[in-house]
Formats: sequence, structure tokens, C-alpha cells
Amino acid sequence: MDAIEIQGVTKTFGDLAAVDDLSLTVPQGAVYGFIGPNGSGKTTTMRMIVNIFYPDRGTIRVFGQELRAGRSGEIGYLPEERGLYRRMEVRSLLQFHGELRGGRKVTEEVDHWLLRLDLLQCATQRVETLSKGMSQKVQFIAAVVPEPKLLILDEPFTGLDPVSVDVIRTAILELRRRGATVILSTHDMSVAESLCDYILMIHRGRKVLDGTLDSIQQQYGSDTIRVSAAGGFDDLPGVEKVRDLGQVQELRMAQGCDPQEVLRALVARTRVTSFSVTKPSLHDIFVRIAGPEAPETMEARHE
Amino acid sequence: MNRMNRMVLVAKRDYLAAVRSKPFLFGLIMAPILGSSGFLVIGLTKAKPDLQPRRIAIVDHTGRAAPAIIEAARAKNGKEMFDRKTGRQLAPGYELETVAPDDRDPSAQRLKLSDRVRSRELFAFIEIGRDALHPPKSDDDEKIPQSSRVDYYSNAAAIDQTRSWISGPVNDGLRHIRLAELGVDSSHFADVLGSATVETMSLITRSEKTGAIMQGHKKNEIEGFAVPFVLVMLLAMIVLASSGPMLGGVAEDKMQRVYEMLLASATPFELIMGKVVAAVGLSLSSSVLYVVGGLMVLQAMAMMGLAPLSLLPWFVIYLVADVMVLCGLAAALGAACSSPNDAQHLAMLLFFPVLIPLFVILPVMQAPNGVLATVMSLLPPFTPLLMLTRQAMPGGVPWWQPWVGLVGVVVWTVAITWAAARIFRIAILTQGKTASFGDLFRWAIRG
Repeated sequence: MDAIEIQGVTKTFGDLAAVDDLSLTVPQGAVYGFIGPNGSGKTTTMRMIVNIFYPDRGTIRVFGQELRAGRSGEIGYLPEERGLYRRMEVRSLLQFHGELRGGRKVTEEVDHWLLRLDLLQCATQRVETLSKGMSQKVQFIAAVVPEPKLLILDEPFTGLDPVSVDVIRTAILELRRRGATVILSTHDMSVAESLCDYILMIHRGRKVLDGTLDSIQQQYGSDTIRVSAAGGFDDLPGVEKVRDLGQVQELRMAQGCDPQEVLRALVARTRVTSFSVTKPSLHDIFVRIAGPEAPETMEARHE
Repeated sequence: MNRMNRMVLVAKRDYLAAVRSKPFLFGLIMAPILGSSGFLVIGLTKAKPDLQPRRIAIVDHTGRAAPAIIEAARAKNGKEMFDRKTGRQLAPGYELETVAPDDRDPSAQRLKLSDRVRSRELFAFIEIGRDALHPPKSDDDEKIPQSSRVDYYSNAAAIDQTRSWISGPVNDGLRHIRLAELGVDSSHFADVLGSATVETMSLITRSEKTGAIMQGHKKNEIEGFAVPFVLVMLLAMIVLASSGPMLGGVAEDKMQRVYEMLLASATPFELIMGKVVAAVGLSLSSSVLYVVGGLMVLQAMAMMGLAPLSLLPWFVIYLVADVMVLCGLAAALGAACSSPNDAQHLAMLLFFPVLIPLFVILPVMQAPNGVLATVMSLLPPFTPLLMLTRQAMPGGVPWWQPWVGLVGVVVWTVAITWAAARIFRIAILTQGKTASFGDLFRWAIRG
């Protein structure tokens, strides 16, 4: 049984189709990354899985069951818009959230996670006295206590320092190891590449990519050259686009282009210190689909 | 976890958060103080009356009335100024002086006397019209000419004790002259003009136990006015104290983005009902304190007979219903807010079901079984306050009316709570846009 089965789901707000005929299967135990531009429908999809929004059309099954108007204690949810009762003490707040979702006392689990995320010393402090990063960690604990079978995290790393990012990343992977299915949305393509088993890209409410990173990259082939050179990239034969990343430049080859010819042309113009042919990065794929030069974006602009 | 447990958990959290907050404790103490401040002022005024002498000038165009009026005023002063047993002064002394009328320029004379009032040399002056002793017959007071009237000029407001006081001696003085004109000996004046005391009595009842006829008893102002008034003000005060903070609290929590995470664990209906149950708990806690406190005060004053104990069950029922309706509405309106300003504006809407009954409470108390009182008390939003007022009045209401009102209140409460939950579900995650009344209505109907 899959953790989530979404069949032909559509959700509209007024005239806007936030999610348009989306189908998706999330296997149990996977880490599934949702990517897409702002307003593409990621959060709406997550809210529908959690049952905060109801789809206008289609069905959503979580562990084989439609939630309808009820709530499942097996789903932990960290929303993108962080907010906690500011005047409550941290431990009381976490116990309240845990008991509300799990229906049982969660005192020991709360203390375990407070210790784990280095927040035990703040347990009796009011939430309003915490820093933004600490509040985010508290909210993460609220999402994982009691331990959920399905964890949905809407941009869990936003605003966190690198140390906290590592702590949360490790915690997510540990939960996955213990059998939890994780869905997370992110704008950080390196996080999606390194953390997720599967990636779903939604654009303008529609699914445009779905699969493992490898399978997605396969669709685009090895059409990318990563090169370090001191200039000379103008009008290179067979090169469609040059992306300057600072120390490295990323060249996108046109169909049928021979990388050897590109290398020869570059060497003739400038000094080349590194040159490799590779699959496009997730970032590059994202920009190709949703960037300003993407066909769909151009089409929308003309409309 | 089932629906009821989640609701109870939300209610428990909200209840504890509220009772531990300083505003709740402050409100608990301040509300009865503010509510009873009117009675307190009246009490203080009675305990420490203004005893400054009040000088009043009389401009007598009849040429005959002033001495009789001054004599009547002297008699009234003698009767009312001092406590007969203790000799303590109870009321100010009224000193009357006559001023010869200036028939050539009466306006200038009035201005001069007005200036004396403004400079506090006089408290007031009265002008007795030339024909005031025998005014022409008229059904319309407005048509009586100035020459037949007695005009009272003062710097005081329309409600002026001195005007009320001086009316007695003025009329007594004029009547004395009329009686003298009819040849009545002055020794009979007191007998002729003496007034009979009209006492307000309760209706006669038959004892249910013995079947004996129970005699009526004297009713006092407290029984007829203060008991229903205090009871209704207490209900209104507790209802407002519960629902006002709810609107602001939900709006603040929405702006702090608290709800999305909660909505993943509990349905909007469970959340809103939890909040409403917490508010009902808070209002019942306050009520217990106030009612027990009030009964202890009555006990200490040996006035337990005034306690409307038979109305306490109705008080609790109306309280729970009103708090549920207003708090459900408050939560829905709070969810529709996008800024603290919105909450302030929408609060007015919330207070209407309490304010409107308070606006009409005096006519309702004057005619508790009149058409206005009966119809308004059967309108569900106003039933709790107005039906309770009518029930608390001496004589009460027909037995079936509270039950009919209760059916309406229950239906109204369920409908409002249901609609409020639907509005709450949609509004609570809407950011940046203040919902219009059209939006609220649409969300309530369509969900």
C-alpha cells in the first residue's frame, strides 16, 4: 500500500486553478520533494493531503483511506507559515500539540526531542522569548511528536542557520529510517537533490516533473557542459545558453551539438582549466521549465 | 482521538490560558465595580448630599402669589431639611426672595437675573405670569401663554432637583390663594390639599401547601427595578466579557499564524467548539463568583428575600446560550480579520445582540407584558436578556413564553455555531484581505 495516492485532484480559488488535475503516488518510506515556483500549488497540495483544504474534484487516499472531514493522528504537518501560541511555555505547548494529534500523553517524547534539538534549557520558557530559529525547531518538534507515519514539511529549512539545517536534516532522515514517509517542499534545489528519493515539480497547478532525480535528468540527457575558463563564451557554436555561476560556467548544448567542437572553440579563444560533460542540475531543469525564457512562461506573458 | 476529546483539549487549553491571564483577573474585579458604579454614585450622593443653601428669586406678575409661595416653601423646608430624631441636616435650605417685576423691559430684567444665576449669587429664578392664578383651560400645555405660566430659569440641566422641589411650594401657594378666594378658611388648607399615600402592593396569591389566601405585601423599588436590572446587567456584563476577548484573541492568533498547524490535528468545528466551550466555562466561573458574592451581600444585609433564586436556572441557561452564540460569532468574525483594526470594527457587530436589549430595557420594564416587550423577548438574539428581564419583574410572564423563547434560542444557537464554524474554516487561512459581509454570508451558506 502506498502512503499517498492522489487521483485527478483539482482545487480552485475563484477563477484560479491552484492545483489542476494532479495525480501522484508516494510510496511508503520515501522522501518526496515538492519543488516549483512560488504560487505553483505546492502548499495547496500539502494542505489537501492534510485535509485542511478539500479538493473540488478527485480523491486523496492516505494509507489507503480517504480522510473526508476527519483528521488522522498519523500525519505530522509543519506549515510554511510558522506560528505558535506565543504566551505558552515550550514544553506545555508541545504536549498540547502532541496530545491533540496523537490522543495520548507525549511527555517523554517531547523531552526526548527537546534534548535532541538542544532546546531542553528552553522547556519552561515562553515561546515569545525564543529566537526565530529556536521557534522553528520547536515547531518541527510539534510536527514530529508523537512520531508520525507521514510527515509533511512545507519549506522546513527556510530561515535556519547551517547548523540547524543539519540537525533538522538528520532528524528527517532518522524518521525515514524508522519507517516514516516524508514529503517536503523546498526552493533549495541542492536540498531536493541530496535529500529526496523522488521529486515532484508543480508549475501553474500542474505536474510537470515526477520521478527520481536520475529519471528526471535522463529526460534531458547529457546536454550540459561545466567549464572553468577566462571568458570567451560569446557565440560558441552549438551552445544555446550560458549560465555564469562565478567560478564555473554552465553551457547548455543544442540538440546534435558535439561537445568536442565546443571544447576546441573554447581552447582557441581562451585558457580552459576544467571541462566536463554532465546531466543538467535540478536547478537548471527548474529554470528551463519555470524561468522567464520557458515556453510556458513566454506563452503566459503573451496572454 | 475522537472529536469530543480534541474539543475538550482545545477548551482546556483556552480556559487555562484565559484564567491565568492578567486581563481576565482584572476584568473579574473591575466588571462588577464598573457595573455597580451607577448605584455607588447614587448611594454616595445620598450619603453626602449637597447642603449648600439655594437662593431663588421670584418675579411675581400676579402681585399676590409670592408671599403664599414663600410661606409654603418655609413649611416644606421645615418638614424636609432636618432629621426629626437626630436633628442632622438632610437637605439644602431653599431661600426665596421677591423681585419686583419690571413691566417696561421684562427681557432686560430676565437677563439681569440670569447674570446673577451665572455669578452664583442666585441658584435660579422663577417668573409667575400675570394670569398664573387662573390660567385659561387648555388640553395642550404648549399653547398656554407665558402670562399664564410659571417659568423656571436656572443653569442646571433638565433633570434638576430644585425645579422639582420648588414646584410643590409654587402650586401650594397658588392653591392657597384660590381657596382663599373661594372663602375657605386657611385652617382647612392642609386638609384640603393633603395628599393620600398610594402604596404599590403585590398581587394576592393562594398558598399551594395550605390553600390559604396569602396577603399582598408592600413592594419596594429594589424589588421592582433593581433586582431585574442587576440580574440583566450581570448577564450582559458576563456575556460581553466572554465574547469581546474572543474576537480579538482569534484575530491575534490568526495574525500570528497559529491555526494552520492546529487545523492539521483538529477540524475547524472542533477548534471553534473548543473555544466556545472554554468561553462558556469562563463565563460560568465568573457567574459562580458573582452570584455567590451577591447572595452573601444580601445575606449580610438581611435581604435574602430579594434574591431571585427561582430564576437562577434560567439565568444559567440564557448565559450559556448567549455566550455560545456570541463567542461562536466572535470566533468567526475574528477569523475574518486581517488586522487589529478589523477586529475593532467588527466588535461593534458583535455587541448589537447585547446593546439593543439594553437600549429597550426601560420600556420593557415599564410594560413587561406589553407588545414591544413580548415580541422582542421572543426574538432569539434578544431572548436571553429581555425574557430574563420580564421574568424578573414582579408578576412575571405567562408560563409558556420562556419555553417558546428557549426553543428559539436553542435553534438560533445551533444555527449560528454551525455557520460560524463554516466561516471559520475558510476565513482562518485567508491572509491579506478583509472579508466583506458578502464573503461571510457566502462562506456560511456554501461552506
